[in-house]
Amino acid sequence: MGLLILYTYVMQNLIDFIVKYKYWFVFLLLEGFSLSLLFRFNNYQGSVFFTNANSMVGGLYNTVNGVTSYVNLGEVNAKLESDNELLRAEIHEMKRILAEHRVDTLRFNGFNRGRFRFIGAQVINATLHQGNNTITINKGQKDGIKPEMGVICSSGVVGIVYLTSDHYSIVIPVINASSKVSCRLGKSNHFGTLQWHHGDPEHAQMIGVPLHVKIKKGQLIETNGFSDIFPSSIPIGRVEDVEPSQDGLSHLITVKLSTDFNSLQNVSVITNYSHAEKRLLEQKADSLLEGNDEDSFY
Amino acid sequence: MGYSTLMRLARFAVLLIVQLVILNHLHLFGYATPLLIGYMIICFETGTSRMSLLLWGFAIGIIYDIFSNTIGIAASSCTLLAMIQPYLVKLYMPRDINESFKPTIQTLGIQKYTWYVLSMMGVLHFVFYFLQAFTMADIWLTIGAMFGGTLLSSILVVCVEFILHYLNNEDEKVKI
Repeated sequence: MGLLILYTYVMQNLIDFIVKYKYWFVFLLLEGFSLSLLFRFNNYQGSVFFTNANSMVGGLYNTVNGVTSYVNLGEVNAKLESDNELLRAEIHEMKRILAEHRVDTLRFNGFNRGRFRFIGAQVINATLHQGNNTITINKGQKDGIKPEMGVICSSGVVGIVYLTSDHYSIVIPVINASSKVSCRLGKSNHFGTLQWHHGDPEHAQMIGVPLHVKIKKGQLIETNGFSDIFPSSIPIGRVEDVEPSQDGLSHLITVKLSTDFNSLQNVSVITNYSHAEKRLLEQKADSLLEGNDEDSFY
Repeated sequence: MGYSTLMRLARFAVLLIVQLVILNHLHLFGYATPLLIGYMIICFETGTSRMSLLLWGFAIGIIYDIFSNTIGIAASSCTLLAMIQPYLVKLYMPRDINESFKPTIQTLGIQKYTWYVLSMMGVLHFVFYFLQAFTMADIWLTIGAMFGGTLLSSILVVCVEFILHYLNNEDEKVKI
């Protein structure tokens, strides 16, 4: 009997305690939920709902961009003007060369192959000052965009598509701490990797070029076409500063990026630069090597 | 839905738009981005039930998260802020008040109110930027973002409160 009274007394107190401090449990629950979201979705490809690729959020940014893009029209016009001039000069040069080679017995049909197809898109939202910067563009799966496609603009490389929803995509730009783009120096064949650290959105670092290579300031850095993502010879930036890296084996090159992420508006997504055949071959090689691991090579 | 809830929703909508369209693109000294959404939680009066305060905090955070690609970061920091808000108000409010007390520039006075806003924003920015960086690398950048954001958003909140207070007084003068 005494035990029963003690038991009810304890239970009563416990229930009182829970009722009185129920907000603590709610607090822990909500905090746990948001932290689990944080850890689970941060690198999760399916998290479209929680990102700018969500159609409602994307729609809002699209509207906002529709209004704010007028502010930069002058700058965009100047850029187009200079691009036009360059193209005009190029056409002139081409015409001159064409006139020199009037009689040609070779049939050239390389251009019609249409090796690359570009989809134009507009940047509707971008972060520049976080470690994990992202760019949201207003084209998505329905326009033919898939993850891991390359994104460029008129002045150079922008980044790689990471997430897509029906009408929007999120791009990981080269100014993201987790971005790595393989690149090469000028027209030489010395290649390396472009990476970026938290901070300055105008500069990145190129690593992996051996110390014996002579590097000039202002030398062009461009994509090397090793990956499936970018074709070769798309400009990335120019050498601004060279110093030996910490391991003492290679250069640490500070690159002034040619793309101005602050005023980025029009980009193009490269949609059909994917060598299915090459990828298949590499996958086959990988699987063969993995299979051999068990049998051992020796 | 009561009048106060409607007002709160309207205020949240305005704050969210200001935050997303203007403040998120503002990076003073390269990294100080103010999180004005904390103002929502700063405004809650002491009578509010802890449960609704927590749920409001979480909702504010998660909505901001969805719009700014910071999944779960603002949600957890705003929930934490909503949890400690009553304790912080108690720290600054006069002791002899028993009924519901709304922390504004009128009730607290400019000095105490500024300290209250600074401490609230300090907690919010500290947790937010710590979770966002989640590393000890670039620690100075993170600390810079914490302090810069805290200062900037506190100044903004105090200015907005001051203007509202001033306008209210003008109204009263006109009515009288």
